Amino acid sequence: MDNSNEILGLYPTWYQPALGSGWVLGIIAVIHVLASHTSVGAALVSTWLATVAVRRNRPELLEYVRRYGVFLLVFSYVLGSITGPGIWFSATVASPRGLSALIHSYVWWWATEWVFFFIEVVGIYLLVYLAGKVDGRSYLKIAWIFGLASWATMLIIVGILSFMMWPGQERWFTEGGTLNGFFGLYTFAQILSRTCFMLMAAALAGGLIAAYLRDGAFRLEMTRKLAWVGILGAVLGAVFFQWGLTTLPESAQLLMKTRLPGSFVPAMWAILTAIVIYFFALLLRPGTLNAPLAAGMMVGLLIFGIWPEERARESMRKPYVAGQFVYSNQIIARDVPALGVKSELPALEARGMLALHPFMPEHLRQIGEGNELEAGHALAIVYCSNCHGLGTTGTRPFGEMFAGNRDAADIERFIKGALVTGNMVNMPRIPLHDDEAHALAQFIASLPLWHSITR
Amino acid sequence: MDIDTLYALRSSSGLPSHPAIFLVLLVLTWALHMIAVHVMLGSTALALTGAFSSNANWRRLAGPMLDTAKVAVSIAIVIGVAPLLFVQVIYDPFWYVSNVLSARWAIAFIVVLLVAYWAMYHHYFVGKEGGSATSRWSLAVSLALLLAAGFIMHALTSQALRPELWMAWYAPEGHLETAGSGIHEFNLGRYLFFIVLAAPVTGAWLLGCRRYLDRREPNDAPYLDWLAGLGNKLMTVGGFAALICYAAWMATLPGSAAGFPVSLWSIGANAAILLLILTPALFRSASGGYGPFATATGAILLIATAREALRHRILFGTHGYELSTYAVNLDWYSNALFCLTFAGVGGFAIAYSVAIAWEAGKTPAVYTASPRVDRLGGFALAALVVWIAQYFFFGFLVMTR
Repeated sequence: MDNSNEILGLYPTWYQPALGSGWVLGIIAVIHVLASHTSVGAALVSTWLATVAVRRNRPELLEYVRRYGVFLLVFSYVLGSITGPGIWFSATVASPRGLSALIHSYVWWWATEWVFFFIEVVGIYLLVYLAGKVDGRSYLKIAWIFGLASWATMLIIVGILSFMMWPGQERWFTEGGTLNGFFGLYTFAQILSRTCFMLMAAALAGGLIAAYLRDGAFRLEMTRKLAWVGILGAVLGAVFFQWGLTTLPESAQLLMKTRLPGSFVPAMWAILTAIVIYFFALLLRPGTLNAPLAAGMMVGLLIFGIWPEERARESMRKPYVAGQFVYSNQIIARDVPALGVKSELPALEARGMLALHPFMPEHLRQIGEGNELEAGHALAIVYCSNCHGLGTTGTRPFGEMFAGNRDAADIERFIKGALVTGNMVNMPRIPLHDDEAHALAQFIASLPLWHSITR
Repeated sequence: MDIDTLYALRSSSGLPSHPAIFLVLLVLTWALHMIAVHVMLGSTALALTGAFSSNANWRRLAGPMLDTAKVAVSIAIVIGVAPLLFVQVIYDPFWYVSNVLSARWAIAFIVVLLVAYWAMYHHYFVGKEGGSATSRWSLAVSLALLLAAGFIMHALTSQALRPELWMAWYAPEGHLETAGSGIHEFNLGRYLFFIVLAAPVTGAWLLGCRRYLDRREPNDAPYLDWLAGLGNKLMTVGGFAALICYAAWMATLPGSAAGFPVSLWSIGANAAILLLILTPALFRSASGGYGPFATATGAILLIATAREALRHRILFGTHGYELSTYAVNLDWYSNALFCLTFAGVGGFAIAYSVAIAWEAGKTPAVYTASPRVDRLGGFALAALVVWIAQYFFFGFLVMTR
């Protein structure tokens, strides 16, 4: 049933003034990336070590694999398996239509990933609890099933993340088909770079376990092994990451150059260099490895590596949040003929948001003298609050926009010149009616007053 | 919300398969998720009782139950991902609105679950020898938080069934309330019903444990008999408690579900609960067995079906929401991908994992896989390799087209 002329399928908005809903999602996502990258990388490293342990009959190596597995269970699998659905929960409340667009296209891919995830979780328990309790040949099978299933979860999620940035093939818009949306050069570049960075994260985490080994010679051997894995992962990961950037469309490159903070690129190189230096230092002096140092490096990777990288990925796909057809403010901005999806911009242009939003109080459907500020607030909630704090807190707060200018006429001119026309490369087009633009400008101009009333 | 709005809230991307397929998978995976949840809650409660008890049998039971709980949390979370996926696909208007209206609680769910899990691990690592006072309390905290997480899920599901109240919750007195800080709807009878079911399901689990241990530790009859007695008691008493909670739930259903308590679906749910109560007598399970747990699984599946029928009664009966009218944009590849992966890769890998864990668990010494089990592992590995090969094959095919 098509009701696009009557009402739009927009959800209520969750507005989080202190952090912004995007940051809540971002924090959960970044923690998940650390845990999941570590667990996939560690699954591959564990498979390799288990193979060496069985083939060369080295029980101490098997014990290392078991202890590493216990660490993974408590850290990566608890954290990763809960924050995984956590991303869904936070995206559900922060960006329901963006998530919905992904899920409705890729539900079977996600269900397939779920099969691998199940195998992976069962596999880590078997790896831990059956170490030394089954014959070597069987243990190898368990390790390889675990390792490959874990890597397969990454293969699937990478394609979905790539689609989130940009459908792999332009023909996806007209022909549809998940394969067309899933596979592009960027997908393969991500597979390579993420696999390498996962190995690097696993080497960092493995250091935590190695630091507690009592057998000095074995400890040195493990430290060196992990250092080589870390160096290879970091260097090759950086190479593939650079290649991945070149596979992005021009607009994403432009956004990366113009919208990311100047510190982004140097920070990424700094953390990579620090990690490579750390691993080289361990190669030269493996005895210096200790648990606080290894833990500190992991926290460093989280704060200085994963956080800016995820933030950059988020910025580069602006103003869209999914598949280059759902805006970050949840409005569908482009026709996708293959799916029968229609842009909502024409309807908004014709009738205005206040008339078409299903969750709009009736007294705000028409702007009059008594409700202008409240209507402006409602418009800001719907159109702007996904990316902007509506006061002085949160991300990109209105209180700091317009260089402190609180002149309603100036703000209205900006809205009509840049936003209504869609002239800002990183912002959605916001097709406000004249009275809506006026109300929104009045609201932004009145922010100090509004805050004192609603605080 | 009128029906036009509910339809407008559907994803304009449509579905890649007929909605009935997702509906069946939703019920099936939700039932499996709940069985894991019930074992998780029951085993945590038993581990907690054992940790505080001076009775030798209870103290002995606490260790294996803590191990069970630890794994059950994992399994519950992993299986829970599937119904969470399917509910978003076919009931997106209801699920998303309910979550946004209680957004802080939806986010809190993650934190609550995380702390609950780690608190359980704290008791596991610190309290291996029966538990220190602190670790015992951390297990209590874990159980309380698991129950809180369940309550949040229950509330989100309840709110999804009340579209007529959404606007009043989102804009009380006409003013937008966007903090998402409230829990707007819950039904204590319904919540307690699904929690109390943990008792009979865990009882059935204990009967299975008794049988499993009997082969490994045949000289331990007094403890094993005590275990079977506890399992039987949990099934019968827990089943009666579930019956009372079910009645309380049915008595407090909203007007939109009037008539459901006497429907065939509801009669089926009652029969399932009675089956749980009667299982110890039916199976003469003093010596344990796997039949009771299989029966409990069937009973939970029946209850899950009745629960879905109630949702249909409210959404279709009251609001006119028809699932079958969801637009379908068929995607053959991803349909086939899931089915083949589920049956081929998943089937072999899980069968192998269960077989080897089962056999190794029964063998006191190092277990050497039988040719049959070994072959199963070989198939699982081969299926995985084929899957990865097809991924790159189709990837390159798409790229070169």
